[in-house]
Amino acid sequence: MKGSRADKAATVVFWALGLVTIALLAFIIIEILARGFLTAINPKFFLGKPEAIKAGGGIFPMIISSLYLAALTILISLPIAIGAAIYMAEYAKKGRLNNFIRFCLDSLATLPSIVFGLFGLALFVIYFRWSYCLLAGAFTLAILNLPILLRSTEEAIKLVPNTYREASMCLGASRWTTIRQVVIPTALPGIMTSTILPIGRIMGESAAIVYTTGLFIRNIPISPFDTAAPLAGYIWYAQSEALVPDYRQIVNGGAALLLIIVFAIYFLARWAGNRYQQTKLLGPKMK
Amino acid sequence: MPEEALENKMVIKDLSMYYTDFKAIEDVTFDVPARRITALIGPSGCGKSTLVRCLNRMNDLIEGVRVEGEVVLDSENVYQQGFDTIGLRRRVGMVFQRPNPFPKSIYENVAYGPKLVGIKDKEELDFIVEDSLKKAALWHEVKTILRESGQNLSGGQQQRLCIARVIAVQPEVILFDEPCSAIDPVATQLIEDLMAELKENFTMVIVTHNMQQAARVSDFTAFMLVQEQGQPGRLIEYGDTNTMFTNPSDERTERYITGRFG
Amino acid sequence: MRARGGEAVTGACFKGHAFADRENRVKVVMLACASVAILAILLIFLFIFRESLPSIRELGVKNLFFSTDWRPNVADPKAGHYGMLTFIWGTLLTTFGAMLISTPLGIGAAVFIDQVAPDSMARVVRRGIELLAGIPSVVIGWFGLILLVPAIARVTGTSGYGVAAASLVLVVMALPTITTLSAETLKSLPAELKEASVAMGATRWQTIYKVLLPSAREGLLIAVILGMGRAIGETMAVQMVIGNARAFAVSPFARTSTLTTRIVTDTGEASGIFRSALFAQALVLLLIAMVLIILIRVISRKREAA
Repeated sequence: MKGSRADKAATVVFWALGLVTIALLAFIIIEILARGFLTAINPKFFLGKPEAIKAGGGIFPMIISSLYLAALTILISLPIAIGAAIYMAEYAKKGRLNNFIRFCLDSLATLPSIVFGLFGLALFVIYFRWSYCLLAGAFTLAILNLPILLRSTEEAIKLVPNTYREASMCLGASRWTTIRQVVIPTALPGIMTSTILPIGRIMGESAAIVYTTGLFIRNIPISPFDTAAPLAGYIWYAQSEALVPDYRQIVNGGAALLLIIVFAIYFLARWAGNRYQQTKLLGPKMK
Repeated sequence: MPEEALENKMVIKDLSMYYTDFKAIEDVTFDVPARRITALIGPSGCGKSTLVRCLNRMNDLIEGVRVEGEVVLDSENVYQQGFDTIGLRRRVGMVFQRPNPFPKSIYENVAYGPKLVGIKDKEELDFIVEDSLKKAALWHEVKTILRESGQNLSGGQQQRLCIARVIAVQPEVILFDEPCSAIDPVATQLIEDLMAELKENFTMVIVTHNMQQAARVSDFTAFMLVQEQGQPGRLIEYGDTNTMFTNPSDERTERYITGRFG
Repeated sequence: MRARGGEAVTGACFKGHAFADRENRVKVVMLACASVAILAILLIFLFIFRESLPSIRELGVKNLFFSTDWRPNVADPKAGHYGMLTFIWGTLLTTFGAMLISTPLGIGAAVFIDQVAPDSMARVVRRGIELLAGIPSVVIGWFGLILLVPAIARVTGTSGYGVAAASLVLVVMALPTITTLSAETLKSLPAELKEASVAMGATRWQTIYKVLLPSAREGLLIAVILGMGRAIGETMAVQMVIGNARAFAVSPFARTSTLTTRIVTDTGEASGIFRSALFAQALVLLLIAMVLIILIRVISRKREAA
């Protein structure tokens, strides 16, 4: 009798804990959207030019900065991640070197993003004399995202059935030809799917970029060496400096827009992932 | 069977194989006659699949594998230093246990091998694809859907596609590693018929756990056995398939083919 | 056909050496890509250390790392005082507060997902947690600033900014990590474990409490440590609600700073030894992260051994 009462109480507690997490999420989403949704979807806001000290500014250059930054970051990190993933999945033998690479990847994945930010500041902005620019932010984020991108790429490559590799080698293909002609094409949809989620993370990242890309701009950045102000960083800047009188509205709108973008990317990634699993991973049809 | 002197396409001499410290196969010696089918039979785990993968050095791809002894292909030991393994695998093709067409079109599956040696000419490729699919008895079923994925075919068709893919690189020997274990009896029949036809041009080795299949398709049979757990697989008996199935010389062979163990 | 085949074979044999050459080149390129991870860690260490060296040299370990005297001088950096102990304490305090809530909440939610909830509900919670993990920290910080801070102010009669607000915001950051990893650990436990316990007449709660949680101990510990890593490293969300004061925090409602928030608040205007002192704070963060990683390695090795 006593056991069963404890059991019931525990069940109630666990349900409560599970529901708290959902409630928390719902609460944040509702609050952020309730305050900022109307501003976020106002063309004057998301297509408008920012103001430095006056009210009524928009955030268009910030959106472009975020997109530009995400594109550059993926452009830099994806080839390296694919190359590294091929090494880890196809060539690496168990041993010290392999272990050490994994250790470094784990370390990169655990370091606080502000540390990456300061590193980017020291290396790209100061040492290379690039000053605050998109490219400095992109390289910083490329390193920050390398572990995630590499892991998901490696998983996509490992999902390619070994028997494809054997069949290719048995037709007289070398290892590299096999990788290039069979493994990569087979894994490609998976690799592409797995790059979507990091894009969301790049767009949401702020600590690593405020001192690498810059914080405020009025015009759209054109060159990778232009100073930029990705949305997430600008939201922080706008509320912390509070130079414009309507900063609350700008931050509300910006936060809502950022949330919408990041969630849209999340759902896109999920959708693409499901589709990919349904079509590609079935492999050879078996009886 | 026409009476002609048998030449040996491959000769396996005192072949042993180790996975790091574990000896998987010990001192196997037998011949693979040209344009005949040689079957490797034995209970599962006896090392027959491992053995067949030594013939085109597919085991090289596994970490920690070491081979002793010789596999002679046309009087050349394929394990000699500096032997071109990529060339070897073109000469000794392989069909796997589970059909494994690439996730590419039927056409691209068959054209894959020829393209590897630099054949780019569209007409030549078209010819090779058609010819190979015909030889694999698949052409009439797929000629209208060459651009569709090879993975949309049925299991038996997929396996014949894999055979066509091997034929397209013009190998001298084709190794079959339990090619019918994952497909239905009707499709199995088709593949067995196909093998009988391919005998004209190719030397074949088939690994099978199905003794009836060995008896039906092969000319020569090698019987392998692991006598006690932890011991390496050994060749117990090798000979003409008819003799082996009607009058085996080793008592263990007899017990196996009459289904009394394994 | 035969002749062509023969030619092709000789061609391939002839090219054998070129093949081997190219194979090795490719392998080297791929290895180089993988080595970027090593290079990146080395460069990060090198540059963070290099930049913090002037302050270590100038101020000495004691005045830099073990002093609470933080009085930077923007105009004349050399005239300032740069003791960071207040912020190390701030980091520890906010992280401790966050873990106090997120550990039971996270593990509880994981048990809910893995053991208690019906499948559809478990999926909803799992997706929810993933979404929560995806919310950018500035958004969570803004949420904290406009809701948590005023709420705390109303209840306590303080400014609302401070350690408590920071800890609550950090709960949101650490929770997804702890829940996801704990749920994975619980899922990886053998089913027989649970069945055996239930077969002995244990209730669900007894099974969870006496069998599942103890057998998942190492995995749960790793989940909590990684969640802790998230909390220690979180910057923007905390910066927006902690008050950014330089006072040593005693009360949970005191305004103070952490290592990360000090860095992000001051780097924009700092130069010379002031900036170097901020890099030294990043160095401390780096070392804390390394300690956590090594701790995790030790634990997982122990788990594998068991």
